[in-house]
Amino acid sequence: MAETEMLMLQDVHKTFNPGTATEKKALNGVSLTLNSGDFVTVIGGNGAGKSTMLNAIAGTFHLDCGILRIAGREVAHLPEYKRAAFLGRVFQDPNSGTAASMNIEENLALASRRGLPRGLRWGITADERARYREKLAALDLGLETRLSSKVGLLSGGQRQALTLLMATLKEPELLLLDEHTAALDPKTAEKVLSLTRRLIRENHLTALMVTHNMKDALALGNRTIMMHEGRIILDLNAEQKQHMTVEDLLAQFEKVSGLELANDRMLLV
Amino acid sequence: MKKTISLLMVLSLVLGLCACASAEEKTWQIGILQFVQHPALDEATRGFREAITEKLGDKVTFIVENASGEVPNCATIASQLVSRQVDLIMANATPPLQACSNATGDIPVLGTSVTDYQAALEIDLNADGATGMNVSGTSDLAPLDGQANMVKELFPEAKTVGLLYCSGEANSIFQIKAMEGYLTDLGYECRRYGFNDSNDLASVTQSATECDIIYIPTDNTAANNTEAIANVVLPAQVPVVAGEEGVCKGCGVATLTISYYDLGRKTGEMACEILTGGADISAMPIAYAPQVTRKYNAANAAELGVAIPADYQAID
Amino acid sequence: MNISQLFNQLPGAVAQGLIWGIMAIGVYITFRILDIADLTVDGSFATGGAVAAILITNGHNPWLAVFVAFLVGLAAGAVTGLLHTCMGIPAILSGILTQLALYSVNLRIQGIGTDLGSRANVPLSVNKYKDMLVSLRNVGSFSLNNPIWLLLLITVLLIALMYWFFGTEYGCGLRAVGANRQMARAQGINTSAGTVVGLMISNGLVAFSGALMAQYQGFSDVSMGRGAIVIGLAAVIIGEVIFFKLFRNFGLRLLAVSIGAILYYLVIQVVLWLGLNTDDLKLLTALVVALFLAMPYWKSRLSIRKLKGGVRHG
Repeated sequence: MAETEMLMLQDVHKTFNPGTATEKKALNGVSLTLNSGDFVTVIGGNGAGKSTMLNAIAGTFHLDCGILRIAGREVAHLPEYKRAAFLGRVFQDPNSGTAASMNIEENLALASRRGLPRGLRWGITADERARYREKLAALDLGLETRLSSKVGLLSGGQRQALTLLMATLKEPELLLLDEHTAALDPKTAEKVLSLTRRLIRENHLTALMVTHNMKDALALGNRTIMMHEGRIILDLNAEQKQHMTVEDLLAQFEKVSGLELANDRMLLV
Repeated sequence: MKKTISLLMVLSLVLGLCACASAEEKTWQIGILQFVQHPALDEATRGFREAITEKLGDKVTFIVENASGEVPNCATIASQLVSRQVDLIMANATPPLQACSNATGDIPVLGTSVTDYQAALEIDLNADGATGMNVSGTSDLAPLDGQANMVKELFPEAKTVGLLYCSGEANSIFQIKAMEGYLTDLGYECRRYGFNDSNDLASVTQSATECDIIYIPTDNTAANNTEAIANVVLPAQVPVVAGEEGVCKGCGVATLTISYYDLGRKTGEMACEILTGGADISAMPIAYAPQVTRKYNAANAAELGVAIPADYQAID
Repeated sequence: MNISQLFNQLPGAVAQGLIWGIMAIGVYITFRILDIADLTVDGSFATGGAVAAILITNGHNPWLAVFVAFLVGLAAGAVTGLLHTCMGIPAILSGILTQLALYSVNLRIQGIGTDLGSRANVPLSVNKYKDMLVSLRNVGSFSLNNPIWLLLLITVLLIALMYWFFGTEYGCGLRAVGANRQMARAQGINTSAGTVVGLMISNGLVAFSGALMAQYQGFSDVSMGRGAIVIGLAAVIIGEVIFFKLFRNFGLRLLAVSIGAILYYLVIQVVLWLGLNTDDLKLLTALVVALFLAMPYWKSRLSIRKLKGGVRHG
């Protein structure tokens, strides 16, 4: 596979509420390059800057300084909705990724037009509906028979699965997953995670996944990075990951950051 | 055969008697649509009702409705009165007049508390001053030149006159324009101060106090907020000449008044002429206030040190 | 106080209700679809009336008058939208600011051609302008002149148009903006532009309704829009409370809003018919709307109580 650069962050800085009592240096010189096909997991304590980095890529806010390229394009000046053309996103809150008051096929139709101009073409064609049914059937959640149900009626896990599908319906250059199983119960989380793995593998997607679960972080993907206080302090390639255990990871972290990582959330399996 | 004829005769006799009886007991239904709750309008309605009741007693039932200041209600109530097929409608203020004249082309509509019928209905009065359609009524226009002369009489040394009015009231704008003309002829410099509603009334009044005197026409919003105006003009020592008594009582010094009660009575008399006297409303000229009186507010005049001539009447 | 009198008054209520129903559909778009409380409508309703009045009194065709009123309403909505998206002013305040400004604008529009330059009231007598689209005068007749026919036609066409529009790709995008802003952005929808477009369409409809109202009542007055947002919201909520369980289709929901406006006016008619003091009209209207608003809440409380009862006996 060709080594095309899919994501490039260079010396990115972002401070929130500068000059006030709540000033926070969220990103402190982050540099990261992802090549096509990379599946990178991101771990770190609370406030390390993981979600902030994802939001910076997505364009929820503008950077103070630094370079940001997605698939070779300079995007730092683009607003969030314009960057959406290259990105697929799944959020932590299952309610964020779908529109509850609209039905399943309408949500999918919206996702299929991502990045494309929206004209006055009416409704959903039979072909499109068949395609959606097919994709939904692959999720194995029984959603393919409920195309006209309102999304608000679905469970959290079903909504996350749907959001995942919407994120990959029109193949994105980069898939951003922000702790997307954190709000789900273990069984559903497992289902969504295996779905994630499958979709990324089948579509050869480049993905960046933030997780609080160290075990999952090590098990998934071909690269793991650890963040702390707005910087990337550890970058493990596939081989290093294979030989690493959670305890080793913790020890590595203490060595690099000089702190004992007392974060129960990260240790819980 | 004989039985049938006698039956028919009895029936026709009975019917005839009934007809006579009902002819004697002719009753009327009069609909009154008042724009908003407000002293001058209330007085006009009262005068209207009393004049009619005195003449026609309990042969008349009134349906009294108030639009509570909301323009859409005027259309609703007007349409309701028309559907109830009242014999006459009294429209108290301009929006009711417009709504009622649009609601019906047949039922006689008498307006009151309306200053300018031509502007309100977009018509020209004929040579006699009548509308030529099913509308007539009384106008509350106090002679504006008389009011201008009153200003001259009381404040001969003053230089500037502030014209204070609500920009949303067509009647007020009409009066301001005319007054401006008269006062300028008398040698005053006039400035206009229009407020939108009771919210900016006080601050606009404050700006108006830069003038020597202030004139307020028969403005509904001003009439409802005389306290607020008084709180500005009295400390600022600026006398107010008012277009009607209610405003003068609240914040003014002097006024050339008409009595809204008398205006209402005149309207009531016109109604009686139409209902019982067979008068044709389309030929009835618009009537004006029967008399004007020079009145003054003793307390305010004393406080501001204004000398009032002897022929003025004190407002009690 | 007899029933036949009430029946006689029905056409008036239906006609006014249909006109306000058009306005209520505009309010529905911002309030329910875009999830914004847009207070511009008190101003844009009167603007529609002002524009129509000036055009009609200057001899223009009434259809042209209402169309131009619609366009001016679009502009009013755009102003609110730009205040909100470009200047970061919260939506409610943006609406209030535009409404405030429109008061002066409306005076000026109505004053075109006069030497004062501003006018509070423009008469549109049905005696003079015989080709006006709707008039209070004809509401009792059974002929084709009766404004109810035209208003019904307009309402149906409008609902069909809205149904089509919100089913297009672009219209679906607008619905997403109101349903979930974050998700809309993540799907590449320009939420700022969408908000402005939604406000424009809404106020265009409101102004269109105002233009019809001015013709219906026979005059345009600068204060004719006061309280319009209350009537619009009342119509939306009454329509929802009564019909939304039955009407799931988007088009039927818009119809429910229009029916809500008619019901609101029917309530007013009943109050008047009962001979209750019209001084209390506003209080009674508030009570009725409050009752409608409380119904869904009481219904849910009632079903909880039934459930509790069941468990106890079980």
